[in-house]
Amino acid sequence: MAGYILKRILVAFLTLLLIMTITFFLMNAVPGSPFLTEKSTPEMIARANAKYGLDKPLIVQLFNYIKNYLRGDMGTSLKMQEGTAVTKIIFQEGKFALSFKLGVCAVIVAVLIGVPLGCLAAYNRGRWVDSVLRVVTTLGVAVPSFVLCAVLLIFLGVRLQWVPVFSGSLDTWKAYVAPVIGLSFYPMCYVAKLTRTSMLDAIHQDYIRTARAKGLKTRFIIFKHALRNSMIPVITYLGPMTAGIVTGGFVVEQTFQIPGLGKYFISSILNRDYPIIMATTVVLAALVIIMNLVVDIAYKLVDPRISLTKGDR
Amino acid sequence: MKKAIALLLALCMVFALAACGSSAPASAPAPADTTSTAPAPATTTTSSEPAPAEEAPFVVTACIAEEPETIDPTMISSVDGNTYVNHLFENLLRYAPTSTLAGDDPKMVTAELELGQAKSMDVSEDGLTYTFVLRDDIFWSDGVPVKAQDWVYAWQRVCNPDQAADYGYLLADVGVVGAEDVYYNGADPDTLGIKALDDKTIEISLLAATPFFDQICAFGNLMPLRQDIIEKYGDEWTDPANIVCNGPYVMKEWVHDSYISMVPNETYWDAGSVGPQEIKWFLSADETAILAAYQSGEYDFIESFPSDQIESLVASGDCYILPAVTTYYLYINCDNIPDWRVRAAIALCIDRDNIVENVTQGGQIPAASLVTGGITDSTGAMWQNGTGYKEIMWAGLAELYPDYDLSDYTGRCELAQDLLAAAVEDGFDTSITIPYRFNNLGVHGSIAEAVQQDVSSVLGLNMTMDSTEWQVYTSTLSSDRDWDVARLGWQADYLDASSFLDLFKTGGAYNYSNWSSEAYDALCNQYKAMAGGPERDAVMYEAEALLFGEGGFGVSPLYYYTNFYCLSSRVQNAAASTLGFYLFTRATQG
Repeated sequence: MAGYILKRILVAFLTLLLIMTITFFLMNAVPGSPFLTEKSTPEMIARANAKYGLDKPLIVQLFNYIKNYLRGDMGTSLKMQEGTAVTKIIFQEGKFALSFKLGVCAVIVAVLIGVPLGCLAAYNRGRWVDSVLRVVTTLGVAVPSFVLCAVLLIFLGVRLQWVPVFSGSLDTWKAYVAPVIGLSFYPMCYVAKLTRTSMLDAIHQDYIRTARAKGLKTRFIIFKHALRNSMIPVITYLGPMTAGIVTGGFVVEQTFQIPGLGKYFISSILNRDYPIIMATTVVLAALVIIMNLVVDIAYKLVDPRISLTKGDR
Repeated sequence: MKKAIALLLALCMVFALAACGSSAPASAPAPADTTSTAPAPATTTTSSEPAPAEEAPFVVTACIAEEPETIDPTMISSVDGNTYVNHLFENLLRYAPTSTLAGDDPKMVTAELELGQAKSMDVSEDGLTYTFVLRDDIFWSDGVPVKAQDWVYAWQRVCNPDQAADYGYLLADVGVVGAEDVYYNGADPDTLGIKALDDKTIEISLLAATPFFDQICAFGNLMPLRQDIIEKYGDEWTDPANIVCNGPYVMKEWVHDSYISMVPNETYWDAGSVGPQEIKWFLSADETAILAAYQSGEYDFIESFPSDQIESLVASGDCYILPAVTTYYLYINCDNIPDWRVRAAIALCIDRDNIVENVTQGGQIPAASLVTGGITDSTGAMWQNGTGYKEIMWAGLAELYPDYDLSDYTGRCELAQDLLAAAVEDGFDTSITIPYRFNNLGVHGSIAEAVQQDVSSVLGLNMTMDSTEWQVYTSTLSSDRDWDVARLGWQADYLDASSFLDLFKTGGAYNYSNWSSEAYDALCNQYKAMAGGPERDAVMYEAEALLFGEGGFGVSPLYYYTNFYCLSSRVQNAAASTLGFYLFTRATQG
C-alpha cells in the first residue's frame, strides 16, 4: 500500500507539472491583459508588462513559474490585489479555508442526508415515499444552483430574515445555513439517486436472497448487507464531488458574498490575473488528485476484494 | 473493517466540527494603528468622543462594487477606488457636501470643490503658476505633519512610467511642466513642474492655463503620499496595519472580497464635521444579492442592482437617479465604411428615444452630442445647449440639408435613406453585412438588437452581431478590425469638454474608428493652449461640429448614462459628486 501511495504521489507531481504547462499556454493564448482597463493604452500595458516580466518569452515565464513554485512561491497578483503574494491571498487571507469549511459542511450534509434518503427510497420502492423522494431528487438535480441560491436568498434572507443575506466570512452558524443548503442540495439529491439505484441492484444479488431465506428482517438486510455493497458507486462520485464542492462553489460564494476560492477562480480568469489563475488551478488540481487517491483507498476499505496494486492480485 | 469504518466516520465528524466550529474570521488583519503622536486638533469635537453607552454607534453600510484592485491612490482607476480614496485621503482641494440637493432625494446633497489641505490657492495672472499654502493643523494619521513634499512625491510617483499607473498620463494631459518628458520619455521626475518651496508651500507650473486645473488639485490619483511608509512596506503599504492617511477616515479592517471598514481619523483637521462612527463598505458584484441585502436592511446604500428592477424601485421611492458624466457611443469604422454618408445614415436611423425608454430603462438621456450632460462651458451653460441648437449632433447636417426636420426622428430617417441612396449611386454595395461588435455584459446585447432593428428597417442593411467577453473585446478592437460598428462608454476624468473631444484626435489611443481630420486636430491643439473663456468654448464647439459634419460620423453617441442608487432613510446628508462618486463623510443618522 505504501509503495502504491508513493507511486501515486510521484504521478501526481508530474500531473501537476503538466497541468501548469497546459494552463500557462492556454491563459496566454486568450486575448486580453491583466492591465487592460477602459482607459489603458498599448503604451501603458507595455510598461506594466515590463514591470511584471510579462514581456519576456513565454517559455522563460513558464520556467520562472515552475522554478518559483518549487520554492513555494506562487507569485504576486497582477490585478485583483496588485502586488500581494498569491499564497497570502489564497491561504493566509483565508480564501481556501473558507471554501474548505463550507465545502466540508456541504459534503457532510450531502452524504449524511443523501445516503439515508436513497436507502429510504429503495426500502420503500414503489410506495409514495419513493415517489416523493424521486420527484424531490430529480428536481434537485435539474434545478440550476443559481436559481436555488436566489430562492434561498430571497425567502430565507429577505422575506423570513432567518439567515443573513451577507454570509461573509461565515462568522456565525446562521451564516452557514443558506450557503450549505445551496451547495449541498445538488450532490445530496445525486447521492440519494445513486444510493437508491445501487441499493436496488444489490437487493437482487444472491447473497441478499440468501439473507432473506435465512429469515432476516428486510430492514436489517438493507442497512447491514446491501448498503455496504451499494456504496462503491457513491464513493466513486464522492471524490470529484468533494473536490468540486470545496473549490467550485462559485455561484454560492457569489450569491452569499463569501470571499472563497471558487469566486476568486472565476474572477481571476475574467481579470486575466495570471498568477492567480495558475495558483487556483494548481490548488484545484491538487485537490482532485488527492480526492481520487482517497477514494481509491476508500474502495479498499469498503470492499477488500478490490486490489490497488498488481501484487495484490 | 468495522473499526476502520468507525474510525473514518469519527474522523469525518471531527473534521466537520473543526470546519464548522470556528467563529473567527478567516482573515483578520490587525486594526490600523491610529495612535497619534500629533497634538489633538482643536476642531476635534463630539464625533471622536466615545458615544454614550446606551447609544448604538452610527455605522453606514454600503456596497458600491466588488473588491477593488487597489486603494493605492497612485494606482486607482475606478470610481469605487476613487470613493475609498476620497474617504481616506484629502488633496489640496476637496469635494465637500453642500446644502444643495443632488436630485429629488432629500437625503442626497451635491459635493462641490473647496479648499482642503491647502488654506489658500493663488493663481498667477497668466494662469500658468498655482501656489498653495498648506494648513498648519494637518497631520497624517500617525501624527506626522503633512508636508508639501508629500505632494511632490505623490505627483512624481504617478507620473513615473515605471509605476505603470493607469492615470500616469494625466499630468502630461493637463499640461504640467515637464510631465510629458517624464512620462513619455523617462526624464528625471525631479524635472516635473511641482516644487515644495518649503514645508508648507507648493508651486505648480503649467504649460498652458488649464481652466479646470482646480479639479486636478482634488484628483484621487494625486493625493499626498508618505514616501517613508511606501518605501518601508512596498506593495503592502495599503494594508490596514500599514496605511497612513490624511483624510477624514482611516482604514480599520480590510477583509479581502468581503468588506472594508473605515473609522474616523482622529488627527484629521476637520474631524468635527465627520459623521458616521464607522463606514463599512461591503465588496460584492452580485446584483441580486446586493439588492437582497439592501431590502433586508443589511446595506444602507447600494448603486448596483438588476436594471429590470429600476422602474419598480423608483416607483417605491427606494431608487433615485442622478445624471452621470458618461456617454454611451458607437464607433463606426472609417476604414471599412469610408463613405461618410453611410456612416451618417447609420447614426441618423438609430432611435435613441426607443433605446432609453424601452431598453435601458434607467432614466438615461438620449445623446445630443459626444460631450455628455453635466459638462458645462465657461459660462456655466450646459454643453448641449451651447450652440443654441438643441442637438449638436445634427447641427452640421441641418445646415447641409435644410429641407429635413432633424429635430424629429422621422425627418432623420428620411435623410438617412436619402444619404444612403446617394452613396449607393456612387457605388456603395447594400448587400454587404455590417458586423456590430460589443461585449457580452449588461444591456449591450439588447441595445445592439435595437440598433440592428433600426438599421434593417430604415436602411434595409443587414447587420450581424458579434459579442465577446470584455477582455477579448477591448483587446481586439484595434487589433482585429473586422467590425463596422462597436460600442464603448466614456466617463469624463474632469468636468471639461476636452475630456471627450481629445478621444478622436488622429492616432488617439481610443480613436478606434480611425477617423481623422487635420482641421479637428488643429482645433484640439488650439484649445489646449487657451485659457478658459468663451473663445476656448467656441473652438471646442467648432471641433465637436466637425465630428458630426461632412466627412465625420466616426462616432455616433447614443445616450448619456445615469447613476442610480438606493439609500436607506436611516442615512441623511450623503453627498454625490458630479464625477460619480459618493461621500458619507458628513452623513447623519436619519
